Amino acid sequence: MFDIAFKDVNEIMGMNGHGIYVWSAYLIAISILVVSFLVAKNRIKGVKRKIKIKNAPS
Amino acid sequence: MISAFIHKFSSPKSFVQITKTLYPLFIFTGLSMLIIGWTWGLLFAPPDAVQGNSYRIIFLHVPAVIFAELIYFFMALCALMHIVWRVKLAAYLIKSAAPIGAIITFIGLFSGSIWGIPTWGTWWQWDARITSTLILFIMYLGILTLHGSFSNLEKSDRLMSILVVIGVVNIPIIKKSVDWWSTLHQPASISVSGGSSIDPSMLYPLIISIIGLGFTLISLGILISRSYILGREKNKKWVLEHV
Repeated sequence: MFDIAFKDVNEIMGMNGHGIYVWSAYLIAISILVVSFLVAKNRIKGVKRKIKIKNAPS
Repeated sequence: MISAFIHKFSSPKSFVQITKTLYPLFIFTGLSMLIIGWTWGLLFAPPDAVQGNSYRIIFLHVPAVIFAELIYFFMALCALMHIVWRVKLAAYLIKSAAPIGAIITFIGLFSGSIWGIPTWGTWWQWDARITSTLILFIMYLGILTLHGSFSNLEKSDRLMSILVVIGVVNIPIIKKSVDWWSTLHQPASISVSGGSSIDPSMLYPLIISIIGLGFTLISLGILISRSYILGREKNKKWVLEHV
């Protein structure tokens, strides 16, 4: 169960002609998730900044 | 009694405080399990006898579509809580979960399309499962659009909740589409009650990927809901203390 299913890196990337489909699906999904996390983190910072500015003593 | 219980444990302040503590645990668990599940599935699981290596998209596609449906189900429960008990937090959670639902449904649809090219010879078919999942994606976008089209936020929350409850009818349709209609999708390979027809060498990484993606999406939900709640409650005293 824990033997690697490929002989070398070229085989991992190529996956017998299916590598382009498999890797592109994962790469796009990971990119979307990473961007979503970054946007969400930035939004928290932005909201906190706005609240601080609004309530700052003048 | 139920109403008193729900209101006691559904204050936005407690939610933000509790989830802030839980976030590091959830994100660590989610990312670790995703890395283990995907590495196992992509490199160590054997190739499929019929599909070869293209089936490895299963470790992304199946968890994504499972959560596309589960998130909507969660939103429907929140919508009921908002309509019946007027729980404010429930509406905040619907608004925060909808973009995650849209994102993960999109990931489910495009990973399925990519998988379809080597397997079915086409990236798109108007089959019942794909079409009902596309409707789910449109529902998520519709909910977000509806909520953004009113200046009165309380009215938006209420209309959004009603739309979510109406749209929940699509979830059993997606689930049962492979049984009710002749589709390109195969019937379910895993069931909660009746075991699995997948070999353990493929099933274990799939289960780990599902749990990992679940924790990762909950972590994303915590971040999105935190920013939304802070924005909505910006005039409350607890928010000023929190920031």
